[in-house]
Amino acid sequence: MFDKILIANRGEIALRVQRACKELGISTVAVHSTADADAMHVRLADESVCIGPPSPTESYLNIPRLLAACEITGADAVHPGYGFLSENARFAEILEDHNIAFIGPSSEHIRLMGDKITAKETVKNLGIPVVPGSDGGVSSESEAMASAMEMGFPVLVKAAAGGGGRGMKVAKSADELAMAWATARAEAKSSFGDDAVYLEKYLTKPRHIEIQVFGDGRGHAVHLGERDCSLQRRHQKVWEEAPSPALNAEARNRIGLVVANAMSDLKYSGAGTVEFLYEDGEFYFIEMNTRLQVEHPVTEAITGIDLVLEQIRVAAGAPLSFSQDDITFSGHAIECRINAENAQTFRPSPGVITYWHPPGGLSVRVDSGVYQGYKIPPYYDSLIGKLIVHGKTRNECMMRLRRSLSEFVIDGIDTTIPLFNELISEPDIVNGVYDIHWLEKYLEKSQ
Amino acid sequence: MTSAKNPKGGGSSDREIIRELADLLNETGLSEIEIEKSGLRVRVARQISLHAPMASGAQAVAGGSGEHMGSGFEKAARGGEGESELDAANHPGAVKSPMVGTAYRSPQPGSPAFVEVGSTVSEGDTLLIIEAMKTMNQIPALKSGTVAAILFENGQPVEFGEPLVIIT
Repeated sequence: MFDKILIANRGEIALRVQRACKELGISTVAVHSTADADAMHVRLADESVCIGPPSPTESYLNIPRLLAACEITGADAVHPGYGFLSENARFAEILEDHNIAFIGPSSEHIRLMGDKITAKETVKNLGIPVVPGSDGGVSSESEAMASAMEMGFPVLVKAAAGGGGRGMKVAKSADELAMAWATARAEAKSSFGDDAVYLEKYLTKPRHIEIQVFGDGRGHAVHLGERDCSLQRRHQKVWEEAPSPALNAEARNRIGLVVANAMSDLKYSGAGTVEFLYEDGEFYFIEMNTRLQVEHPVTEAITGIDLVLEQIRVAAGAPLSFSQDDITFSGHAIECRINAENAQTFRPSPGVITYWHPPGGLSVRVDSGVYQGYKIPPYYDSLIGKLIVHGKTRNECMMRLRRSLSEFVIDGIDTTIPLFNELISEPDIVNGVYDIHWLEKYLEKSQ
Repeated sequence: MTSAKNPKGGGSSDREIIRELADLLNETGLSEIEIEKSGLRVRVARQISLHAPMASGAQAVAGGSGEHMGSGFEKAARGGEGESELDAANHPGAVKSPMVGTAYRSPQPGSPAFVEVGSTVSEGDTLLIIEAMKTMNQIPALKSGTVAAILFENGQPVEFGEPLVIIT
């Protein structure tokens, strides 16, 4: 088991990892930019190293500085959290070269799934259903047109090096294809440095359903059920729940088994999430994230399994603590992502939190690194906390969520709590009947 | 803190005196008042952290860092030196670490240090080396002057922004 883990991240996830390390008796090193010197996880960690000024490229994304921090503290493992370098194959490789464990999958698998074209090819060969699309990249407008005519419009032009909902343009008909093709390539080039694109059928009212997987790196992998993350604004998830209101046990077991077997064949190590669009009873693979996800707590709530503890154990060489038969799903969980943003304009609201009172009680969890008096820095994303609620049924969960939101006080900044107060009263949300376009349409109506 | 020596013994009047002196202390911003009257000597002093002159401030920091040399950045060891560290970091002549690594006083073990307290330096002169992952990085003086303080021990791990040397 590791002696000392360096947490290469910030905010709520750094605190999350810090907690798991402490429960395993492992020393922690918190690295931080100058802007995060007062962060909660920095204060709680055994050691801290300031690695740079606020800019992410000079701090959290700076591989030489992270390596140097490992060197001077003697850390024998790094947990990358999510975002930042968590899916950077080169970072994983460099750590491997320096005999520092990277708590995550191999650099090879990160690379494989990081390229959205090879990822699709790989999972297709492993038996996972994929969205109909161009087979591989499309390098000319005429090729794009041919591919689109074959699958039928509407189509989506997607960046091969993209992901996380970025670098995608819709063409609803043949007239729009030339424009979508050109702009997608230009955006891809500027955002990801690579203008390679491919085409996919654009599904009209799908749900976003993702499967949590765990592998031991030696050919054993399991699935931990699904999460429904259809409520998104600009491709960013806002509300996630487990299980999905749209799936029954049979559908869950079917897709879960396919995914678990695929990960076993791949000899995948650690936590991963296979994301699908689900429409008319069919699953269509969109991408795989080779890391822990923001919304992992809803899976923890219904399975009772601590995913970060398991990540650390597996990275240290232990076998999985559970077999597929050991995994049971109990009750229902919902997570609301609390952002420091105005709930109507979504304008970011950095500043000082003058009053902070989170909700509590049975089955109420708040994952957040902020505290009263904390100054939210303007340099990073606006997620300040996650409210996760569990209930024996979805109804009980919704009631508990309504109650928890009513107790949650955050003064001094704008937050998106008012949005969640609205959502819990919306009939479609109460009935669990929504798709990936629902939230955008709802927000448009309220303007 | 207060100390009252009254050989005759006392009571509420002693406490009143102390209270008055304490109020006076707060009102005037004085750090210490001592009076002697009718055999009663009372001294009331405010616990303040003095802004130590740079040289001894540097000693305090350097001495403290010695405790955890080479072992990282344990919070407990650093807690006590907070104030003098803050002063050093804000000093206009402070040279702060631009990187994470291990700081060395001399080009190689056994050779003389680049600078000592009192050395005169010109802009661009090497003050120290920071090593990270087997590469040595020379840290230059950003302006000419005299080395007033050296805030690290040879072989000490340093973080970004940490004050290393003060040049006046």
